[in-house]
Amino acid sequence: MKFSTVLLPLLSVCASAEHTSNWAVLVSTSRFWFNYRHLANVLSLYRTVKRLGIPDSQIILMLPDDMACNPRNAFPGTVYNNADRALDLYGDNIEVDYRGYEVTVENFIRLMTDRVSEDMPRSKRLMTDERSNILVYMTGHGGNEFLKFQDAEEISAFDLADAFEQMWEKKRYHEMLFMIDTCQANTMYSKFYSPNILATGSSEIDQSSYSHHADSDVGVAVIDRYTYYNLEFLETQVRDPTSKLTMGELFDSYDEEKIHSHPGIRYDLFAGGEAAGRSRLVMDFFGNVQNVEVEGGVQKNETEWQEELAAIDRMILETRRRHNESLITRPQSQHVVEEATSADSKQALRKEGAVRVDGESGWAKQMVGAAALLGCAGIWAAGSWLESL
Amino acid sequence: MPPPAVAAADASPATHTDSTSTSTSTSTSTSSQSSSNALDAVNARPQPPPETKESLWLRRSVILSFWAVVVLLGLPVWWRTTAIYRADLPLQGMTDWADGKSCKPVFPLRIAVEAPLSPQEAHHLLRTTQHALDDLNEFSAHHLRLMLADPPLPANASQQVVSDGIGSTRSDEDIALSIRLIPVETGTTPRSTLQPYSPTLDVYYMPNQIPSASSTGSPLATYIAQELHKIFAEEQALLASLLFSTSGVHTAKIKSLSAETAAELKRQSTRALKYAPTYHLTFSLFTPTFAPSGWDIESALQQYLTPLLESFSAISNFTVDTQVQLYATFSPSIHQPEYDEDLRSWSLRKEDLSGFINAAEWPLSPSIGKGPTVNFVLFVPDQNQSPLLVKENGGNSWLIPQWGGVFILNPPRDSDTPRILGKEALTPAFHTFSNQLLSLLGLPQTPASLPLRLSTLKRVRAASLIFSASSTLGALARLYQALPSIPVPDTVAKSVDLTTSHLQQACDHLREGRFQGALEHARTAEAAAEKAFFERSMVGQVYFPDEHKVAVYMPLLGPVAVPLVMAALKELKSIISGLRK
Repeated sequence: MKFSTVLLPLLSVCASAEHTSNWAVLVSTSRFWFNYRHLANVLSLYRTVKRLGIPDSQIILMLPDDMACNPRNAFPGTVYNNADRALDLYGDNIEVDYRGYEVTVENFIRLMTDRVSEDMPRSKRLMTDERSNILVYMTGHGGNEFLKFQDAEEISAFDLADAFEQMWEKKRYHEMLFMIDTCQANTMYSKFYSPNILATGSSEIDQSSYSHHADSDVGVAVIDRYTYYNLEFLETQVRDPTSKLTMGELFDSYDEEKIHSHPGIRYDLFAGGEAAGRSRLVMDFFGNVQNVEVEGGVQKNETEWQEELAAIDRMILETRRRHNESLITRPQSQHVVEEATSADSKQALRKEGAVRVDGESGWAKQMVGAAALLGCAGIWAAGSWLESL
Repeated sequence: MPPPAVAAADASPATHTDSTSTSTSTSTSTSSQSSSNALDAVNARPQPPPETKESLWLRRSVILSFWAVVVLLGLPVWWRTTAIYRADLPLQGMTDWADGKSCKPVFPLRIAVEAPLSPQEAHHLLRTTQHALDDLNEFSAHHLRLMLADPPLPANASQQVVSDGIGSTRSDEDIALSIRLIPVETGTTPRSTLQPYSPTLDVYYMPNQIPSASSTGSPLATYIAQELHKIFAEEQALLASLLFSTSGVHTAKIKSLSAETAAELKRQSTRALKYAPTYHLTFSLFTPTFAPSGWDIESALQQYLTPLLESFSAISNFTVDTQVQLYATFSPSIHQPEYDEDLRSWSLRKEDLSGFINAAEWPLSPSIGKGPTVNFVLFVPDQNQSPLLVKENGGNSWLIPQWGGVFILNPPRDSDTPRILGKEALTPAFHTFSNQLLSLLGLPQTPASLPLRLSTLKRVRAASLIFSASSTLGALARLYQALPSIPVPDTVAKSVDLTTSHLQQACDHLREGRFQGALEHARTAEAAAEKAFFERSMVGQVYFPDEHKVAVYMPLLGPVAVPLVMAALKELKSIISGLRK
């Protein structure tokens, strides 16, 4: 009994930790002009999360095609998600992180699991930790347990589930909202098995997701229904970052009559189940709200602080003097650093491949090559000798 | 050879009720005897001559050679080309590290006591104080060990024994705190003062408070023990909660960790950035107008920040950059500042503060460098929106956990905004920034002595690095078992070995009380563990469920396998029937 009273406050510490950063991964997976709406979906969501405060450095935007500069686009340099063309989604301040043929299954999984090469810029990496909430939004053409990428390959629900599991194992997220708008979308999250994922999709198995409406001047459908009604909620209800609307209210706004398919929501992985999932704020995933700590006026005497700094300065000088004196007696730490750098340089030399099995030593290969060459020369010499007989 | 279908029809005549009369089956009830004999002679199938031994062997050897090619060449080639290389990892060892079985971190702190006493008296005092200390201590992993400073120096010479607390003076002797016992005649005794810039505790006592050789306890010993316990209380709480929350095996024996302490620790850990060997500090000046367009940042940094960063150099390195952004406007989605008649100032609501940073427009977090970026934003409001304060408490600065700090510098009321902010104008801002930096780096609040806090931070960081590297090892081991389809190259195994060896060394250093060495080893271990986990080629990109594998192999191998298997079965059958005869 005594034991549990000691443990309880500590346990509650572990359970109710808050998140301190928000990230968004927005992926369109289809290419070509007739999939205009998928890119418009993603750009609309990009605009929304940016408006609600997620900085560009924490949004990973994957666009497999460039609709704004497509020769068929009657309005060059723009992308619209509505026939009224009131809002240019392309705007003047968008940052596409992965574009064109960079949008592949491999790159997506590498992004999620952070298995990227060392020269990958920070803006293309998902630098999350156990206090980050992540919004993953995907759209494209899919089927039962797969989502097509670029008409060339597909990601299966199993791969996605395994990638999320690796993220969970490495503590790369606190809570995740997975949102997908594609045909048979709900099958994509059916294989997830990692905790703290809230998943929602546009349509059940054997159901199609439909586009909302077409713009006859653009000539193609401009947005999908499920995304359209999500956006309608986000844009009309969630006006500013102080909004206290919950995910439950967002999910309740789904109207199957309007969406023309059955959106699904998966709560069972979420800690606390349906109640906890529904009570999360929309801003926990779509915005970037932290609990700031306001400090009062002047707490400390400034002259005192300046004296402190001077004292620290003196302390450092003293340390340096001692350090110089005792340099010879401290070989230990230098040894460690040296070892680390040598490991680094070894790593840098290593070549990369998608599946690298084992490195063969260069010498063996060269010997085989030399032997083959010598053999050929020998055969040629023997042949000419026989001929001359 | 006759077509087998006819032979089959012949063999089962009774079922063929409507077989034609011309058929020469053995059902001869309707046909005449004489004609049937003639027809039999005509239609009787000549039996093939018995196979010669040679052709039998030829056929069998052909089938056998096909099978030999398949089994001896095809299968190995298929196996070789489709196998996923997985280096052997010491899974059990990795799991042990993650479960905290390989290393129970202990933090033995050496405390040197300088006493102007005879050796016997000093030893006795030490022993009684140690007893009192052990009685007070509730957290067994963290214990203080008193020892006599050698040689016992007179009080006036002890000024030189100022240990810096940053680097160990002698690597084998890491002294966390030294206590100077100073005899006095006046004032309340015993009393003590902690020196703010050196890890030294001065204890004043009256000579008659020294415990006599016969007594088992004394007020002086108890007092010193209590003081020490107080000094290290926060460190103990930090380490205890760290040990508890990460490994879980140490069932916390800390009764003193009250709810408030736990909440405060949680707040601190939420605020503090994760440990990184290098942090990048960005100082930005934002203003909605054209002024101020410059600031005397270099000398301000030199004077106000450099000492602080230098004092952290044993734990982390820092890089610094600065920027000035003019015409920086608020995000349109937050509530704009409102004029408050009572305060005679413009005010921001507290709930809007997290949206104050206009993340979409303000160029923050540059994607450079390796380490995490800590942002410090100095905002100078427009002259006609000044002074700008936080509505709830009238403050002008706030801290954003794990991100950085913001300070609003209101220009003087009755003069224009200066074009260039001088060093003096920046003083309050930098005072705030340095406090914010300290809490973002996770420096504990107590005790008052900076070197002690730094060495506490060093221990906490070393412990947390050990835990995080261990948990990465555990995660890798679990994934290795859970996802058999991802390749694991040898470099991962090497990194794992490097990690475990450095973890072991870090753990040994901790046990011996050499915390700087422990931190360095833990840092290397953490880097190696990250490298192992994030190995680039370990991407399970094409996961095939078993039914997919069947679907791929069937059309390919089915047509080949059927004749092979059928022929083999047939031959086996004939061999068996031949043996039976």
